[in-house]
Parts: sequence; C-alpha cells; structure tokens
Amino acid sequence: MTQKIFKIKDNDVVSSTNEFLRHLLSSGKIQALLVPQSTPSKKIAYPVLIADPKKLHADIIAPVLPVATATVVSKITKVQPPSKPIGVVMRACQIRALIELVKLNQANLTNIVIIGVDCPGTFPINVYAEFPEKKTPTHFLLETMVKKSNDAEQYLRSACQVCKDPIPTNADIVLGFYGFDIEKEIIVEAHSELGKEILKDITLEEIQEVKTREKAVKEIREEKDKKRAVFLKEKEGIKGIEKVAEFFDKCVNCHNCRQACPICYCKECLFDSAVFDAEAYKFIRRAENKGLFKMPSDALLFQLGRMNHMILSCVECGLCEQACPNAIPLMEVFIPAAENAQKEFTYRPGKDKTEKVPMIVYREDEFLEVGEK
Amino acid sequence: MSEEKKNNKKEDFEPKIVGFLCNWCSYAGADLAGTSRIQYPPNIRIIRVMCSGSVDSMYILRALLEGADGVFVGGCHPGDCHYIDGNYKARRRMVLLENILGTLGLEKERVWLRWISASEGQKFADTMTEMTESIRKLGPNPIAKHWNL
Repeated sequence: MTQKIFKIKDNDVVSSTNEFLRHLLSSGKIQALLVPQSTPSKKIAYPVLIADPKKLHADIIAPVLPVATATVVSKITKVQPPSKPIGVVMRACQIRALIELVKLNQANLTNIVIIGVDCPGTFPINVYAEFPEKKTPTHFLLETMVKKSNDAEQYLRSACQVCKDPIPTNADIVLGFYGFDIEKEIIVEAHSELGKEILKDITLEEIQEVKTREKAVKEIREEKDKKRAVFLKEKEGIKGIEKVAEFFDKCVNCHNCRQACPICYCKECLFDSAVFDAEAYKFIRRAENKGLFKMPSDALLFQLGRMNHMILSCVECGLCEQACPNAIPLMEVFIPAAENAQKEFTYRPGKDKTEKVPMIVYREDEFLEVGEK
Repeated sequence: MSEEKKNNKKEDFEPKIVGFLCNWCSYAGADLAGTSRIQYPPNIRIIRVMCSGSVDSMYILRALLEGADGVFVGGCHPGDCHYIDGNYKARRRMVLLENILGTLGLEKERVWLRWISASEGQKFADTMTEMTESIRKLGPNPIAKHWNL
C-alpha cells in the first residue's frame, strides 16, 4: 500500500477532490468516471458517468445515497466490462455490495478502478433535498467534521448510524479523511497494483507512515461497533409472531425494498411470477380455511422469503428501508438477522471476492447434528 | 382455563404436518413403511420432491405462514444423495432458516429435517410418531390465527 497526502486548496475539499478527479480523467489512464454529482436543482446527487473532465463537478462527500451504486456498476459491467479502465467512486457499503455481486456473477471488475471514499454517513433523500439547516448538506456535514461535533447524527439514516464499517475495504484507491483536518489535507492510498499504476504520475506528497490515520480508523470502527451493539440489544424485542406481524403490518407488498436492494438481482423474482395467480375458487377456499385473509396476501411471506434469499450477503446499506413508502424501519429486523445468520456461517459479505457465497458451497463435516436426532 | 382442561385440549389436537420427501430415499422409505404395514400417525401430508436440496425455504415458510403445525423435510443420508450433494445444500439451507426463525422468535421446533433412506421404513414410521407427538405438545401453530400476514 502506498500512501500520499493530498493538500486541500482554499479549505475546500469538494473542489480540491474534483481537481484531483479531473486530473485522473484527463490523464487518459481512466476513460470515464462514475461519481456522485448534484443535479442542477441541487436537491440530490446521483452517480453520474462522466467522460468529459470539463463537465465534472462532483460531490464525493454528498451525504445521500439515492440508488445502490453497486447496482449501477453491475449494470455497466455485466454484459461486457469496459476495455479500458474506468473509475467508480463508492462508499464502503456499496463496495461490499459490489463484491457480493461479483461473487454472484452479476458484475465484473475487469478494468474497474474502485475509488473508495471514507463515509461520514448519508441522510434520507427527502432530508437531503429539503435540508432544514441554512447550509447545504455537504457543507453542514463538513463543518461538523471539522468541529468534531455530532450534530449530523440526528439526520443520518438509521443504517448509517449503526454502520458496520464506514472505511472502504477492497478498493483500489481510497480517499480518506478520518484522521486528517479535512480543510487542510486528506490521504490518498493505493491498495492494489492497479491503484498504484493509476496514481503513479500524479504528484502528491508521498508519506511513509501515517499514524494519525490508523488511530482514527480504529477509533471510528470502535465507535460504530459500540453503537451497533447498543442497537442490536435494543432491537432484540421484535420476537414472536405477534410482534413480527405487527412490525410488517404496514407492508403493502409493493416490493420497493427488493428493487432498491443491491443484492436482490434476480430478473425473475418468485413474487412477480404466476405462482401467486390462481382461480377464484382457490382464493375462496383459502378464505374458507382460515375464515378470512388479508389481500394482497403473502406480504410476510415476501419479507421472510426475501430475507432468506439475501440475508447472508446483506451489507446493511439500508436502501430497503429508505425505499419503503410506509416507513417500516426494516433495519430493526434485517440488521439482527444479518448479524446472526452471517455469524452462523462465519461469513462476512464484501470481505473477499474469491470466497463463495455460503448457499452454493458445503462441507461434509459441518452441522453434523442437523438432520440427526 | 384450568391446567387440566388445557392438557385435554392439547391431547385432542391433531397436528397438521406438511412433509417434503425426496423421491429417492425418504419417499421410498415412507412407501416401505406403507407396504410393510407399519402403523404411524396419519398427520403428515406428503409432497414428493426430487431432492431435499430442491426444497426452497420459501416452501417451508409458506406452509408455516398458512398455518401448518409442522413442516418435515426428508432427504437421503449425507453422502447418499442421488444428485451427489443436494442434501448437503438442504442442510445449510435448514441451518439458515432455523437461524432466521430463531432471530424472529418464530418456533423453529416446528421445522424438522431428517435423513431417512429407502430401506428405513421403520425409521420413517418412528420419526412420524415422534414428530406428531412433539408438535402435539407444542400445540397448534399460533401463526394460523393471524389473517393479516
């Protein structure tokens, strides 16, 4: 790993990082860049695929995640990966999701340069769009980081509040600001040969040892672990059919959560299939069996079925919760479920792209008590 | 309700069990139990599947959410799968499903996975007796009375 210090000009990290990204793009080493950029209304920042460096006005800090960046990268690379490198700027959770999609053969990392950015968390789309403070969300967030205050915490999505790990792993290049004064300097790290190659001719002040970075990363990880532990303890209460049924009562079976989820990639979901279509007499017979049943039916089956299919790869990005039109706090159920299931299979999604997802492999000498008395 | 009456009620209760039996082992085992005229409780409704590895957790969940009191999955003994490794995959799937049911506090005791070979007619009958009694003790599936799922 090589580490370089990147000096920020005029205390403005957004325009300085843009200069850096423009430089990358015009150097010809990457032919395009996928990066969050505000729309003209400034109400939201989307991942934008940029080929012309002059058109680049990105905002890599923008605390909003409207869509899964991992899904976007899957879209770009699935049919045929690019022939020359393209850079993709991503948050830690989205890199984890992308690694899972690679394992599931839904994305291809050939010629993809993953540029990970330290993530201070994101706000729900509408909070970001109609931000109540006098500053833009980005400036507000930067200010809280400089002041080291936790004023931004109140706006963070619940998934971000208890984020597993906001520091990118498995990136080729990491732009890091934890441990640095973001108005003065940030760190640029090359984590792979490709990353080193890309950064080679870019003149940055190279440094040998960065003690502050290591310490700050450890601190932020510990802080998040603590919050997560408290969250997991608090949410132990959703147990038993009464509570589970009540929790999902507002689910109208719209499947938006599945649509937003970076892991749910199936083209033909069982729940869109004809399996649930039936002749009227079958519906009536079902009603006769139970006396009555709710329509549309099978909302809980959808939630639990989807959970069974994706939970081992769940990166806890919380996009399902953000997509829910009825504000069901899905993370309260999905984070404990992911924690327990992933622990059972000692599997950490997004950790290692050469590892296989647990449901396609097995060992003969495991879970020996299952199936026996 | 007094404790005695409650117990009486439980004894009257006949569990409904949905069973997914693999074509090559457990289904043949059930067949052998029948042709050997071994008696076992008639509480199971058998669905023949080609392999225990083809039983998606969705089938099991559907049965439970529709109010089945128990769900049984029968497969070949480890190492004996007709498709080489279907039962190993079924085993992992069952571990995952039980883990999720555990997290949500839903009764995982209602879901059973057992290995029963084509020659084990007696084992099939014994397992059915054991499961029926075990579910009878658990009582009716509380999910059945929820119509708003």
